[in-house]
Amino acid sequence: MFSLLYWVWIILGGILIGAGVHFIPVGGAPAAMSQATGVGTGTTMLAAASGLTGLIGAGSAYAATGGDFGYTIVMGGISAALMISILAFIANVMYVYGAGVPLASAKVKYDPISKWRQDLYVSRGTEGHGTPMSSFISGIIGAFLAGVGGALVYFALAASYAGIPGFGATFAGYPAPYYVSLAAAFAIGIFFLNCVMASYNIGGTIEGFHDPKFRRLPKSILASLVVSAVGGLFALLIVVMLPGGI
Amino acid sequence: MDPQMMVELGALTLVGAAALIAGVAEDLESDVGSQSNPNSQVQLAPQMGYLHRLYNKAISGEPASYPFYAAIGASTALAVLSITGNSSLIGVFFALVAGAFVTSLIHGVYATTSYMGRLASQSRFGQPIYMDVLRTHTPVLMAHGFVANFSVLLLTWVIIAQHFSPFPFVVLAFIWGIALGGVGSAVGDVHLGTDRYYQDRPYGSGVNAAHSGSVVRKAESGLRNSIDCAWFCSKFGGPLTGLGFGLVVYLHFWKEVVVTGWWSVLAGVIIVVIFIIMNTYLERYSRQRYGTYKAEAEE
Repeated sequence: MFSLLYWVWIILGGILIGAGVHFIPVGGAPAAMSQATGVGTGTTMLAAASGLTGLIGAGSAYAATGGDFGYTIVMGGISAALMISILAFIANVMYVYGAGVPLASAKVKYDPISKWRQDLYVSRGTEGHGTPMSSFISGIIGAFLAGVGGALVYFALAASYAGIPGFGATFAGYPAPYYVSLAAAFAIGIFFLNCVMASYNIGGTIEGFHDPKFRRLPKSILASLVVSAVGGLFALLIVVMLPGGI
Repeated sequence: MDPQMMVELGALTLVGAAALIAGVAEDLESDVGSQSNPNSQVQLAPQMGYLHRLYNKAISGEPASYPFYAAIGASTALAVLSITGNSSLIGVFFALVAGAFVTSLIHGVYATTSYMGRLASQSRFGQPIYMDVLRTHTPVLMAHGFVANFSVLLLTWVIIAQHFSPFPFVVLAFIWGIALGGVGSAVGDVHLGTDRYYQDRPYGSGVNAAHSGSVVRKAESGLRNSIDCAWFCSKFGGPLTGLGFGLVVYLHFWKEVVVTGWWSVLAGVIIVVIFIIMNTYLERYSRQRYGTYKAEAEE
């Protein structure tokens, strides 16, 4: 069923996804050469990898509880946070034991959380390496926000599509109902929309909330709002075209 | 212990093992093909005057190409199963093999066009296209891609069969493809990019940005190729990537199988806190063990 409340949730989810991406420490390609602080992959991809793992958690929670709002949202967030904490930790093991570099940031002199000195541990010609404490915590916060955002979008879409007659059915012997497939596909789409918007805003690498680039967040929120509003409306209006949609 | 939970934990162990193999194979595939982050160095090398015999394929970032492969493999497997039916295990197994096989063929096509196209565009820098590199490396990376994709399809199938997730096969395979690419790109690439490509530089330091593109081109004997890099990275980068992806998949479902409801959330929080603590110890260890790069007076 189409509902304006679901649309608001999608917009809110999109904003949370866009904001979450800014928290996630992304080193991009230079991080693979230990030239930049953060996890070594693209902004969009890292956020999507963690946030969509959160979506799997949210999907399981939604199905297990029959659509409990709070549980679905929190489960999405914590699953994403869990993914990025494992990913960043294993990457740090790689930096310390594989590349032999200490974890350090070049953007701040002292780590805002651990208060440890940073600049002396940055090797010559690089912008830091690995994911030190502040970036690690920032990444977990960001993945949590992105996971919650993804779960909100999924929840709104699943609740909307579940009301369409016949969409609770499954195909042949497979357990997934139609509405779950459709909601997951559209949730992935809206997730990518917001990740890409945010990644343009970041432009390459970011270390987390202590990075100067983090101040660009308000612009991203505005962009996410517009993009999610348009994308969400299209996703929700599909139900209008189906028999019994309204 | 609840017998149902024991069955689920057994299935979860299989899922974790498949994820581990997927991670190892994925990282080694990206090392042979020099895909993803360190590819920037291979791509830059001829422009800086360093001609090389490394395989240069960047179809896209790993977190974008692996969901694509996984979705193709899953669709193919479903197409096969729609004819044979999914009642027999051996039928499902061969459907997954068929899915991974079609995927590896498409992987091979993309790798070949990518290698030829990239190196052809570098002819102005004098970079030759080595046909023997193309002939020897492409089947190797297709084979690694086959193992990685089969493992992703297998773990997704077990997840669906055990009702761990309500998502459909193709969407779930797609999402695990992104996660696999993300882990492979973030973990394994560091071993290749920082260590293997710059083995002539002092160990224990990030690569100075001024040295970008000057990758090592000589091997222990003769000229270095990308299969040598996979051999080197299979000692640490590959297994660590496998461990990372295995942990991601295993712990994700572990917290939902062993406990249910809000206890799963609590279990997730506890695991995250444990990783924060371990990371703190790791960071402190690295600082104490390796020391500073410059004295405090120099700042």
